[in-house]
Amino acid sequence: MKLRLAPLCALILISAAIGTITIPATLRAATDTSAPKVKLDTSLMGPRAIEDITHKNIIRDYGLAWQTMARALAENQRDLLENGYLVGFAKERLTQALEDQVKIGVRVSYSHGVHNLQGIFYSPDGSAMELRDTAQVHIQVLDGNRVVHNEQATLRFIVLMTPGADRWQVRYLQAVP
Amino acid sequence: MRKLPFTFLLLIFGGVGVANPAELRVPPMVTAGNTFSIATSGRGEADFYLVGPGHVARQKIRLGEEIRIAGTDVRISGRYLAILRSAEGNTSAAFFVSAETPASLSFLAHPSRVPVGESQGIGAVAFPLDKFRNLVLQPVDVRFELQAKDAPPVSLVVQTKSGVAWTPMDSSRKAGVALLTAAVNGFRSTRVIQQVAATPCGLRVKAQRTARGLLVETDPVRDCLGNPVPDGTIVSFTIIGRKGKSTVDAPIKRGVASTQIPDPGAASISVASSVVIGNEIRVGEGQ
Repeated sequence: MKLRLAPLCALILISAAIGTITIPATLRAATDTSAPKVKLDTSLMGPRAIEDITHKNIIRDYGLAWQTMARALAENQRDLLENGYLVGFAKERLTQALEDQVKIGVRVSYSHGVHNLQGIFYSPDGSAMELRDTAQVHIQVLDGNRVVHNEQATLRFIVLMTPGADRWQVRYLQAVP
Repeated sequence: MRKLPFTFLLLIFGGVGVANPAELRVPPMVTAGNTFSIATSGRGEADFYLVGPGHVARQKIRLGEEIRIAGTDVRISGRYLAILRSAEGNTSAAFFVSAETPASLSFLAHPSRVPVGESQGIGAVAFPLDKFRNLVLQPVDVRFELQAKDAPPVSLVVQTKSGVAWTPMDSSRKAGVALLTAAVNGFRSTRVIQQVAATPCGLRVKAQRTARGLLVETDPVRDCLGNPVPDGTIVSFTIIGRKGKSTVDAPIKRGVASTQIPDPGAASISVASSVVIGNEIRVGEGQ
């Protein structure tokens, strides 16, 4: 009987142990604030054809915008939003969310898989680009240091980007069903 | 007796595994700014978190009762998380907030100055927004209208796709100010487009001796549709004479370009503006 029980006990103990190992692993993932990997497909985008340099810059700047957003939300630091990767509605809304977070001591952490961007619209004069992002993200909501929500999800976003002096800026970002 | 440790472990770990945290029932979709309720199950107190794109809130609630979410908490469209933290554990549910009906427009018109008679020379792009400035992603009709002076308005309706409507438009045949308007759901946004004469057409030069030399000037400079080419447009006069070749650039003033040059003797004078070459005249001693 002891022999039969041993594997079961071991299994239960291992399961319990995995539980304790998983928490730091997810926390580590959620505080990963490096720029996420971004892919861009412009095969269906129009009416303007995207320039090679713009293609590269969209990938770079969208990734940096997400990095900025993830860091600001995870560290509750509004001044991080001043780097110019998020502007207009996107920045205003994020600023409001950060103010709320600071007020109640909540943080939202994002860590990323790949952001797959699909170009939808590039205005004829090159002044606006609309994209759809399908992203794998790991979201944690923390109240103080306590994780109250932990989620791995595939989310879709509608993104509006406009060119600034030296970068493309995220002006509008909205999750959609 | 030997089975006791196993039963004990099962009770401990099994008990943890089957603990029933309170449940949340959220509507899958809510319209921005609308008040609604979230149903909960269970008993006792819990912390409720609402985490949205521009709003994060926490409140104490009683399990088993409905949580009323004010319209002001869901003004921004996007994905929201409703989270419960109670003694039994955490539970969460996601829902989406969609935009209200269009109440304004973000309207881009390009360029601000366009030559007359240019096919698809004007680009009009409109993003309908609701009263909370959410992008309206449901298809809506946007009416674009170009109203130029002394010309009937040109209008067309374009349905938005993924929140954007755009159309190219032809500039009209008359120079002057044109108003480009985008309208949705009774809201209008207008941009001013300056329609300017196209490149000169039939550019002609003439010369006249004066006490100071030779006055070289053009006829009134117009485009092929008869619109006066704007003052400030540069016209180049090229003089080829015995002393060689020289070029004088002169801006159009009051419809004509002119310059005073020293008498070149026998010479040929030609005129050009932009990519347009005009006529050539010959002047000589005794003329």
